[in-house]
Amino acid sequence: MASNYVLPENYKDLTPAAPLDKKTLNKMVWRSLQLQACFNYERMQSAGWLWGILPGLEKIHTNKDDLAASMTHNMDFLNTHPYLVTFVMGVVLSMEQNKSPIQTIRSVRISIAAPLGGIGDALFWYTFMPIVAGVTAGLAQDGNILGPILYFVLAFGVQMALRFWLMYWSYGMGTAAITSLTKNAKEFTHAASMMGIFVVGALIYNMGTGVQFGMEFASDASTTLGQEGGEAVGLTTNVQAQLDKILPGVVPLAMTLMCYYLLAKKGWTPIKTICLLLVIGIVGCIFGIWANGAYNALVPVPWHA
Amino acid sequence: MEILQVVLLAVATFVFAIDQFSLTEVLYRPIIACTIIGAILGDLKAGLVIGGEVEIIAIGQMPVGGAQPPNFVMFSVVACVLVIKTGLDIETAVAPSLVFALFGQYVVTLVFTVASGLMDKADEAAHNANPKGITNVLNIHMAILGTLFTVIAIVCFYGGQALSEPMKNLSTQFSWLTAGLSVSGTMLRFVGFGILMKIMMAGDLWGILLAGFACAAIFGASSVSSATLIYVAFIGVAIAVYDYMSSVKLKNSAGSNVGGMSDGI
Repeated sequence: MASNYVLPENYKDLTPAAPLDKKTLNKMVWRSLQLQACFNYERMQSAGWLWGILPGLEKIHTNKDDLAASMTHNMDFLNTHPYLVTFVMGVVLSMEQNKSPIQTIRSVRISIAAPLGGIGDALFWYTFMPIVAGVTAGLAQDGNILGPILYFVLAFGVQMALRFWLMYWSYGMGTAAITSLTKNAKEFTHAASMMGIFVVGALIYNMGTGVQFGMEFASDASTTLGQEGGEAVGLTTNVQAQLDKILPGVVPLAMTLMCYYLLAKKGWTPIKTICLLLVIGIVGCIFGIWANGAYNALVPVPWHA
Repeated sequence: MEILQVVLLAVATFVFAIDQFSLTEVLYRPIIACTIIGAILGDLKAGLVIGGEVEIIAIGQMPVGGAQPPNFVMFSVVACVLVIKTGLDIETAVAPSLVFALFGQYVVTLVFTVASGLMDKADEAAHNANPKGITNVLNIHMAILGTLFTVIAIVCFYGGQALSEPMKNLSTQFSWLTAGLSVSGTMLRFVGFGILMKIMMAGDLWGILLAGFACAAIFGASSVSSATLIYVAFIGVAIAVYDYMSSVKLKNSAGSNVGGMSDGI
């Protein structure tokens, strides 16, 4: 029976429904959190999306056949950014309320959902979250409980504020909201990437300097000036200390650039790159190259005590 | 006491497994999840420190377009068990936790594949205008995901305890191996940074990358070093807003020239 369902071109009841009340809109904002609750590779977020807007659809379509039609086409493939989904919801709900032709709603929905996914990734996953993580992870590492609390307040607070604001804004403006959002999308993405790259540069130094060389070359006592009193003064040359005089942070910078090169130019997967780092770490410690407290190198080498 | 820990760990893992895609989408982050798991396993302080460490590794490893990165719920659970129950160093625990994170990634991929079968049920509910049916589909999906993760977490809990003695011997006998794992654990974050660069890098942004690097170095050596990243973010916002404003202005003025408008110069 299910497979015989034929989607109509228009709703049966074409009189625009009454505008949705605040309570329903708020309910849908909270429900939008479940966007990915039934994520799958066939239609991605579709079921979660439909569940999110159901309270509105039930208010709009009092005719049972129309509700079935609306629910059916809202089970289409959908993939967008979870933080920005209420924008799509607002636009789609305003079209449903005006009983727009079903095909129009379908194509508008998919054409705004996809670009929003890209903008959201750049803005939140790659810029905002790394900054929040960078600031709060340091606190947590010092054993400060404020770290996770601050993380929750910032990440959850910002996304809920956005979800509410976007829902009301886009529902109020309807399809007109699309142009004002997508007009400067390219410029916006570039500016967001700029900030993201700037922060990545900072993270490389701020979080990367823990990786250090441990090699120390003892100078030969007979050839140094440190022979006074017959006792050799332990003159050693520490490789990391020398590097820090020239360009502090050069090790994390070089290693990040290597990862970038392998991932972006050589098409390596993250997993493959991670495996390479495991090899570099372990082989390095076999030969006593890396600093990591007191450990015994497997191969006896002159630069590792 | 132990049974209480297992039950609480199971409940927490169940919630985190669902939270990584819905609910708050924040609680599952390592910095929060590890703190909670740490408290459950009896060492809140260790949980905090592990959380900070794992959160940094997780930077850049985000689920994008349905592609799954290593699973950080699994990572957090295993790392906490290995440090608190098995007694490994945090850095040393990172590499073995990663193995489980990859396993968790496959579990998620499996669930997402199997869940395609739920779409028929959802369609049927839609054709019949039956909202309850949609709710059921969501609940089934969340229950499968949560249960699978919970089972793995319980296995890890008992396995991690059993490993405690052999691991201690291993780390004294093969100190180069644990040191190597520890160094690579610290290096993993570079992969995350590399992923971020891959996505955002453009030819004109290389200078910006180095500028950020330099800013962090300068602030890091100053008396405001604890606020380094916040100040860096301030400068970053300034650059981004300026870039956005000037390119929009440029675009608009170019548009008006085409339209034959003259600004009088």
